[in-house]
Amino acid sequence: MQLTRSNPKGRLDSLTWAILGLGVLGAVVGFFMAMSSPPDQNQGFVARIFHMHVPTAWMAYMASFGALFYSVAYLVRRQAHFDRVAAAAVEVGLIFMALALLTGMLWARPTWGVYWDWEPRLTTTAILFAIYVGYMVVRGAIEDPELRAKAAAGVAILGAINVPISYMSVKWWRSLHQTQSIDLTTGKIMVDSAILIPMLVNLAAFTLLYIGMVRLRGIIAAREAAQEEA
Amino acid sequence: MQRIFWLAWRDLTLELRGRTGLLSAVFFLAVMLLILAMAFGPAPQDLRKAAPGAFWVALAFAGSLLAGRAFGLEVEDGTLDDLLLTPGGREWIYFGKLLFQLALLVLVGLALLGLTAGLFYLPLQQAGWLLAALLLGALGYAAISTFYAGMLARLRGREVLLPLLLFPLVVPVVLAAVRFTQGLAEGLPVAELLDWLRLLLVFDAIYVTVCAMLFPLILEG
Repeated sequence: MQLTRSNPKGRLDSLTWAILGLGVLGAVVGFFMAMSSPPDQNQGFVARIFHMHVPTAWMAYMASFGALFYSVAYLVRRQAHFDRVAAAAVEVGLIFMALALLTGMLWARPTWGVYWDWEPRLTTTAILFAIYVGYMVVRGAIEDPELRAKAAAGVAILGAINVPISYMSVKWWRSLHQTQSIDLTTGKIMVDSAILIPMLVNLAAFTLLYIGMVRLRGIIAAREAAQEEA
Repeated sequence: MQRIFWLAWRDLTLELRGRTGLLSAVFFLAVMLLILAMAFGPAPQDLRKAAPGAFWVALAFAGSLLAGRAFGLEVEDGTLDDLLLTPGGREWIYFGKLLFQLALLVLVGLALLGLTAGLFYLPLQQAGWLLAALLLGALGYAAISTFYAGMLARLRGREVLLPLLLFPLVVPVVLAAVRFTQGLAEGLPVAELLDWLRLLLVFDAIYVTVCAMLFPLILEG
């Protein structure tokens, strides 16, 4: 994930290509494995959307950790490439977050009967999505690169800290005044090896894709920065 | 320590002398509450149910409206650089501004509380607990709005950016404060509601600490 300083000009290196290629290959294989996995006992074929949903949600939270880590690293070390990687992590993460929310809604409609429920994980992801949209807007609004990096790091750090707190608060908020009861435990898929293996393949593929895309985005950002300086 | 209070005191004096900013914010929120009351009303039980939500959302608006005040004058008068030049750490600037922001929000909050009691029939019997919630909730809002206001002090589009950054972060404050106020209004025993105050306390402690640590790193210059 890290753009090393030996790569300051933003050369598109073979490692990035390899990761991206493996990720694409894995996603294709994972897709076919998911489509041939047996239907769920309760939910039938609808459960197959989990092969897409779980990896994207996982990537969304990876992005949050990545952004936190590289933002702290930037504030401590003040090296521009940490900021670029943090921004790339958020930008790519935002896409995965949108996918996770979308696939979750598509799954919720036939299963729960509604597109949206104020469930803690769902609500927390939506809040995090709003925070990272704010992150991108702040980056777009500030022209001075150093100020932009500092402000963005502040937003990313405060946003990542917010995840556990808002999760807990939404959980309590629902538990006190439960108006509709949708049993989430029925939403759990039975972890059978026929489902677990495609899931793991998909997880690995999406992780590779994510890392590859972040690297690619970081390289593009480095080229942009180099062009601005020149 | 002393300069924290002096900074807050100076800002508060300037703000109260200027008056226009604070008054227009309060009037805007009063009009907003009036319109909300019309939207939810006129049945008293509906209004009473909506009261905590209306109050805390109004206070959240107050937080983002007044956030610019903390650093607006400093930038206009060019005194921000003088502040930054003072020897020693920079955490005290954050704490001073936080204190100022908190005082403003509590002042506005008291006015809003009166308005909500009048327009929405929010019962005020347990005023002590309401004040405690107001203090903790306002501190939560202020901790974040002061941080972002300082960060974006010299930015042109900050009036639009501030609410966008502020509102998603204060969701836990809104949830906890609204539930606590609602419980009080419904007459539930306070012991059952204390968890919400604890959540507010934890939120405040975490965000004041983190913001104070990050503030010197992020302030420009």
